[in-house]
Amino acid sequence: MSSASPGSGSSQRGRLRRWASQQRAWLIAIAILIVLPHVPGLDGNFGRSLLSQMGIAAVFALSYNLLLGQTGLLSFGHAVYFGLGGYAAIHLMRAINGGLAIPMPLVPIAGAGAGLFFGMLFGALTTRRAGVVFALISLGIGELVFAAMRILQGFSGGEEGITANRGLGPHPFGLTLGPQLQVYYVIAFWSILSAALMAAFLRTPVGRMCNAVRDNPERAAFIGYDPVRVRFVAFSVAAMFAGLAGGLHALNYEIVAAEAVGAGRSGAVLLMAYIGGVHHFFGAVLGAITITWLQVSLSDYTTAWQLYLGLFFMAAVLFAPGGLSGLLSMHRPILRTRAFLDVLKTYAIAAVPMLIAAVGAIMLLEMNYRRATQPDAGARIRLFALDLDTSTPWPWLAAILLLAIGALLFRRTRPLVERAWERAGAEARSAGASSEAAG
Amino acid sequence: MSEAHESARSMLQLCDLHKRFGATPIIRGVSLDIREGERHAIIGPNGAGKSTLFNLISGLFSPSSGSIRLAGETIEGLAPFEIHRRGLARSFQVTNIFSRLSVYENIRCSVLWSLGYRYSFRHDVSKLRDANERTDRVLEQIGLAARRDVRAGILTYAEQRALEIGITIAGDARVILLDEPTAGMSRAEAARAVELIRSISSGRTLVIVEHDMGVVFDLADRISVLVYGEIVATDAPARIRENPTVQAAYLGTSLHA
Repeated sequence: MSSASPGSGSSQRGRLRRWASQQRAWLIAIAILIVLPHVPGLDGNFGRSLLSQMGIAAVFALSYNLLLGQTGLLSFGHAVYFGLGGYAAIHLMRAINGGLAIPMPLVPIAGAGAGLFFGMLFGALTTRRAGVVFALISLGIGELVFAAMRILQGFSGGEEGITANRGLGPHPFGLTLGPQLQVYYVIAFWSILSAALMAAFLRTPVGRMCNAVRDNPERAAFIGYDPVRVRFVAFSVAAMFAGLAGGLHALNYEIVAAEAVGAGRSGAVLLMAYIGGVHHFFGAVLGAITITWLQVSLSDYTTAWQLYLGLFFMAAVLFAPGGLSGLLSMHRPILRTRAFLDVLKTYAIAAVPMLIAAVGAIMLLEMNYRRATQPDAGARIRLFALDLDTSTPWPWLAAILLLAIGALLFRRTRPLVERAWERAGAEARSAGASSEAAG
Repeated sequence: MSEAHESARSMLQLCDLHKRFGATPIIRGVSLDIREGERHAIIGPNGAGKSTLFNLISGLFSPSSGSIRLAGETIEGLAPFEIHRRGLARSFQVTNIFSRLSVYENIRCSVLWSLGYRYSFRHDVSKLRDANERTDRVLEQIGLAARRDVRAGILTYAEQRALEIGITIAGDARVILLDEPTAGMSRAEAARAVELIRSISSGRTLVIVEHDMGVVFDLADRISVLVYGEIVATDAPARIRENPTVQAAYLGTSLHA
């Protein structure tokens, strides 16, 4: 007994340690989520509300990437499941307000249920085909549901939406959901749980087959799987998590309106997944964080923020088809080389002319945008702490000059970057070869 | 060899099979009886309908008329995945793999259904001992064990052909159809492929379409000659070589490879 018990105790500890090392990334993510709302700058109501929005967007974008990145299904109507999940959640919240004894933090489950239900319903129709047909049908269903939500005023409240009060109901463990911090932690809990479940889904047999069907649906059929069934499963799971994100949205804003199922939101989630990078699981999270931050902060600086978002998206499609996560992971092989520092230095050098060009481009955009949208506001505009008179040619000339000089100089920095990359690549290859020889 | 199969039971039976595309008949009344454990080659000039025949058997096309039986069970008109589940697997003439998955994932996906995991939500594939062990065995067999973590799309052509065969045999099907497995290979590569095909087909029924007569006469127990959608002869390799109808069909080409 006495000799056996310390042995089994230590093996249990060993198992725990092994589990912890396997799940290290997740444990770090949880720790970050716990600490974030107390980091200076994010510890106010604005910061915590921004973090809450990012969490919701991350779940939505991850669910979208189950379709686009993992199963190869390009949907233009994913907001349908987000919005319908949101409506299910807000109606449940109203019922709780009316006396139903369910704790508010469980409301997102109703969103997930609605998402799954409608995902299976519409998925049975749409997943028979992939590619263009799927994309077009998803667009059609999106328009259909949006129109229905505008008409069914009693259910949806139309464009004004319907509201509920998240504070009115049972308060388990003192969770009143009054302070934004509590709401944030509820959202963080559901976000990390959803992310873990989606990652686990991709490790199941049917999850692995999603990738196979994405790559080659015909061959998938010749190894025993019905590609339509695999797509249907992926679609239903993606819709369920989109619905859960919609439920979080309802909890966070206490209002759901027709725009929640609209094409704008469907487009935004495509943007997030693509800019984050569809080839990496966490790319969608990166995209959700970036786009949410841009949406919130850019709109503070300029009314033309959607224009910049569009330009950003175009740049990503053209120059970084792997998205932000693709750009980051591209550097993985050279991360440990000495030349990696040189690569970073050349990036810093290239950033200077790029910034100059960007200043020129922003000046042109803003001056044009002001003249086109607010002709009565006068010719004077304040940009980069400068008072510019757009009725004279000088600010226009300056902008064009900055753009041209920046672009020209930027082109000159390209060989610099390439040479640094070559050095780093050669170093990484020789290091790889020597370690292989040693092994 | 062929005498040994006289008594064996039928594994794949085609009966008066027809396939038309619009008004154009491609397969015009094919009847064929392939026995359990047999290695059967189908040869014929370009455009004879060999690949179409494979597409009919494996469910990619459904026949205009006629029947196909797999171990006595009617399979014509079934979807490819249903036919695969009944124990028939095929390879493709043009490499048809999962190009963005790793070599390992290609094979592991291909073993899942036959091990009964179906559309399971409950299992973590990395913990499925039987699936991973069989995947390792297949990789060993097709000689790609050292390339297991490489993305399938960047393999060399010969490696992709080996993977193509690996995907086909991974599900442990009773009947294997190989569509020109050595097409585009060098002599040395083709010789290695023949060895691979010999080893993977032991204990199974093999139907192979092949242009390389060396490969055909080396591997096959029996050969069927398909000309313009009809089978003009089915016999042992030695007798096929002497057959005047076959020689007429192959006018100008040597059967003595």
